Amino acid sequence: MTLGYIFRRLMAVILVLFVVTFAVFAITMILPGNAAVMILGEYGTEEAVAAMERILGLDKPWHIQYIDWLVGVLHGDFGQSLRLSLPVADVVGDAFWNSASLAITALLSVTIIAIPLGALAAIKRGSTADLIIGIFSYIGSSMPEFVTATMLLIFVAGPALGLLPAGGFIAINESLGGFTSHVILPATTLGLVLTAHISRQVRSEMSEVLSSDYIRAARLKGLSEHRVIRRHALPNSLAPAVAVISLDIGYLLGGIIVVEEIFAWPGLGRLLIYALENRDLPVIQAITLVLATVYALSNFLSDIAIAILDPRVRYA
Amino acid sequence: MPRAFRTAAGITGLGLLLIVMAAAIFGPFLAPYDPQVFHPTNRLEGPSAAHWLGTDQFGRDLLSRILNGAPSTIFFGLGATLFGVGAGSVIGVIAGTAGGWIDSIIMRILDGLLAVPELLFTLLIVTFLGGGMGQAMLAVAVAFTPGMARIARSSVLSIRTREYVLAAVARGEPSRYIILREVLPNAISPIIVESTIRVAFAIMIGATLGFLGLGAQPPSTEWGLMVAEARQFMFRNAWTVAVPGIAIAMAAMGFNLFGDALRDSLDPKRNE
Amino acid sequence: MALAVPAFGPANAGSKMGGTLKISHSTRIATLNVLSLSGPAEYPVIDMAYSGLTRIGPDSQPMPDLAESWEASPDATEFTFNLRQGVNFHDGTPATASDVVATYEAILNPDIPASATSVLNMIETVSATDDLTVKFKLKTPFADFPTSTAHANARILSEEALAGDLTKLDTVVNGTGPFKMENYDSARVTRLVRNDDYFIEGKPYLDAVEMHLFPDLAAETTNFLSGDIDVMLLVQQADYERISSAPNVNALRVPSGRYVNVVMRFDQPPFDDLRVREALAYSIDRQLLVDLVLEGLGRPAHDNILSPEFKFRIDTPEKAYDPEKAKKLLAEAGYPNGLKLNLVASNRPAIRAQVAIAIKQMALSAGFDINVETMPHDTYIANVWKKGKFYMAYWGMQPTEDATFNLLLTSNASYEDTGWKNKEFDDLVQAGRSTTIESERANAYSKAQELMLSELPYIIAFYEDVLTASKSKVQGYTLNPINRYFYLESVWLEE
Repeated sequence: MTLGYIFRRLMAVILVLFVVTFAVFAITMILPGNAAVMILGEYGTEEAVAAMERILGLDKPWHIQYIDWLVGVLHGDFGQSLRLSLPVADVVGDAFWNSASLAITALLSVTIIAIPLGALAAIKRGSTADLIIGIFSYIGSSMPEFVTATMLLIFVAGPALGLLPAGGFIAINESLGGFTSHVILPATTLGLVLTAHISRQVRSEMSEVLSSDYIRAARLKGLSEHRVIRRHALPNSLAPAVAVISLDIGYLLGGIIVVEEIFAWPGLGRLLIYALENRDLPVIQAITLVLATVYALSNFLSDIAIAILDPRVRYA
Repeated sequence: MPRAFRTAAGITGLGLLLIVMAAAIFGPFLAPYDPQVFHPTNRLEGPSAAHWLGTDQFGRDLLSRILNGAPSTIFFGLGATLFGVGAGSVIGVIAGTAGGWIDSIIMRILDGLLAVPELLFTLLIVTFLGGGMGQAMLAVAVAFTPGMARIARSSVLSIRTREYVLAAVARGEPSRYIILREVLPNAISPIIVESTIRVAFAIMIGATLGFLGLGAQPPSTEWGLMVAEARQFMFRNAWTVAVPGIAIAMAAMGFNLFGDALRDSLDPKRNE
Repeated sequence: MALAVPAFGPANAGSKMGGTLKISHSTRIATLNVLSLSGPAEYPVIDMAYSGLTRIGPDSQPMPDLAESWEASPDATEFTFNLRQGVNFHDGTPATASDVVATYEAILNPDIPASATSVLNMIETVSATDDLTVKFKLKTPFADFPTSTAHANARILSEEALAGDLTKLDTVVNGTGPFKMENYDSARVTRLVRNDDYFIEGKPYLDAVEMHLFPDLAAETTNFLSGDIDVMLLVQQADYERISSAPNVNALRVPSGRYVNVVMRFDQPPFDDLRVREALAYSIDRQLLVDLVLEGLGRPAHDNILSPEFKFRIDTPEKAYDPEKAKKLLAEAGYPNGLKLNLVASNRPAIRAQVAIAIKQMALSAGFDINVETMPHDTYIANVWKKGKFYMAYWGMQPTEDATFNLLLTSNASYEDTGWKNKEFDDLVQAGRSTTIESERANAYSKAQELMLSELPYIIAFYEDVLTASKSKVQGYTLNPINRYFYLESVWLEE
């Protein structure tokens, strides 16, 4: 795990990020429609569409457009949204913080809940508690977000109970209470599958660890069960959980797209769907870059964490 | 039957899987009505003698639509996973066993591809290819490949240092033997377990794409599309959403449970 | 000949001043550029912030807006508009004839994208005879010109704004309408406040109007029913029943001429044969479509592009659902074993695909084997629209017969897509617009409709109602069937 290795990994990721944005760009150019067409819709005559394309800079050859964009990005300028006529940096920046507040809330809640749940299930393996946790896990990880979200909306926020707002968003710096009431349902939806997945992973890994020679030896040494679990079993069980968390961050970033759309949460997911529909290329590029960077960083950090936590991998 | 399958979880998983696979293979032939025919006088009804699971907004029989949609939903999951796992495992095993610079290059590329979150990757590919089941399946398979390659590789890596492999190396066995007889059989079990769980994922992603309008297109009976089209009628006839939603959950759960039971039974240490 | 019309509604007795009206909508307000926007939620905003020379009233007739009266020359080639005195833009600068001229010149400028061009392209010159008078000279006579000046995208901008950077129009609003822009956040809430300087005394009643974005219909509906939103801009057919039966809710159903039309191209087989077109027309059960797709919230149509609201509409014979007759017609046309076809439906709005699927099912027994092909909206616009052989189109209601015919059916129509190009029809439409004598217009338009009904360029199966809902405390709220005019200055809140 030398500094040089880390540096090379980072460079590779950066290179790929640009390849990805180039690919996104190239593919969009192949598409028959573009933002000008989407803005004017069926009320656009050929002249109007052509005029709009000129205004948006879409009439330039595509490699020029990409180079313009690239040069801009290297200067920190992500261009102008084609559909929203606002700077991309503003639009994506706002959306980013909104998504981050949702994702972090979900991830924190999941970690706090899932790891103890999994450990409990492993320790009390075969008991009723294990069974209940197991059933909950399986059902939770088998429901796609759009099903969970719809169910929650209807039953918790619907006219019958009306316990929580049916979608919408209040920034955390505007009102903590408002933010909390609006974040509960989307965070729960996002977290359900992750909680199930992670707790199952912890349970399975910890069961294996608990029956291993290493733990048997620790018990024979006379250490209390409590100590065995806390100091020996748990740390060794966490490595795959961390691996799963990092893979699940990818799942989270995907799940956030549907959840934001359904709960009207003004984050990157909702913005991406809107940008894709309207062929708003600069916004699509920026969001792809942001999401890929977040994901790559989280993978990278989790690799380091795994190496620290699992002695086997470190010496492989 | 292997011990692992005799647990409640294993039996449930196997049972669900059998139901779901039976639906996928025989479903369209078992459907009582043509899934596209309208019965307008009975629209948006709950279960009745004529329509066991009720009808949708056009008066189409929900049971027939579910049975008809089982193949597209299930085989989408199986197909996408098969391609993704196949391609990914090959790449991962090569990287894990070869080591050295081959491994480095492959890992570099994988890292890059893994930089894009799966659903986003799928979403981008499918938006640009236009909607449709074929395009969606390809997109999901491509999105799965790097993740599977990574798992295959790390499983191979951890096995390389296991006692039985080191013993074979010490015995002087040729590499091909080591790979085929020692590494692969033990590396395969995590791959198989992961695959069955991935099928559940693939089914859910396929349904999500159908829900977003980027996967199966109307009048297809794919289950995710059914949920999307039924959402606006949810209050008038909850069965229109519940039936496909539960079907998706059952299929995913079946594969998940089965995968776990499979892992428990394939784990060499458990069977000792 | 003077055509002065009284101003729309003096301040209503019983109205109360004050309050903020909260409106929910499910499509983004992506831009405020009044010249080129087309989003359903964008129209209410510009209806509040800007004025046109004229405006379409709830009775679908042009009423005074920025112009308080107008005159037409007897041959309908010259129109003079007299502007109100003392009107200011929101930034305080006076609104005069030169602003009107600048706006119309921008609309007619081919380098500036403008959606109103297609109804204003007969303008030859526009000039300001003095500060408060604008004169239009038309290339050809056009009796409905005051309706064209009421086009929702033909609202008056200041000369200053038009001389500057036009991209500012996307985000900056400076109009003469009853409300001023206070805050524009396209991701969440757009807020407008009362223009105290508005040219109609005593209006608007409301202090402010807020537009709240909910991209998900289920969340929007649930929020409307259990939250503090006052008006739900557009209600889906599926929710209408539930919403209208909720306590404290007024659901409004406005019959409109909005339609989904099946486009059949004339210059290629098989639709070059009238019998094939007729066969398809008899393969569709129109009442069933209204029941299934519109939940009964519409009226069956029998291929007349004009709905009963239009003044010069003729009685249209009903076409019953008759698959046997359709089969016979197909056989006569040379398809005794039926006909295989590919029907394209874009994914926006969803109603296109729903109607396509229903048609596919209904036409089976007549021998039509239709494959429904859906595609993303921009692909449809680029590849299929105006070119394709067989596809679903979707149009809102136009204010006049002339506008309807000239939008799609005449040979030079801006969005002509069937290849019909019938000279007799063109002449009849021209005759209808060139005179202001009612009986002559009626004659020309009824002949035009008869021609259209016998040649069958489109199949039009229903007229879709416009659906909206408000809480009972909202008074004075109504929608125009054209769905571009909202009259929010006449709304007040009864707390």
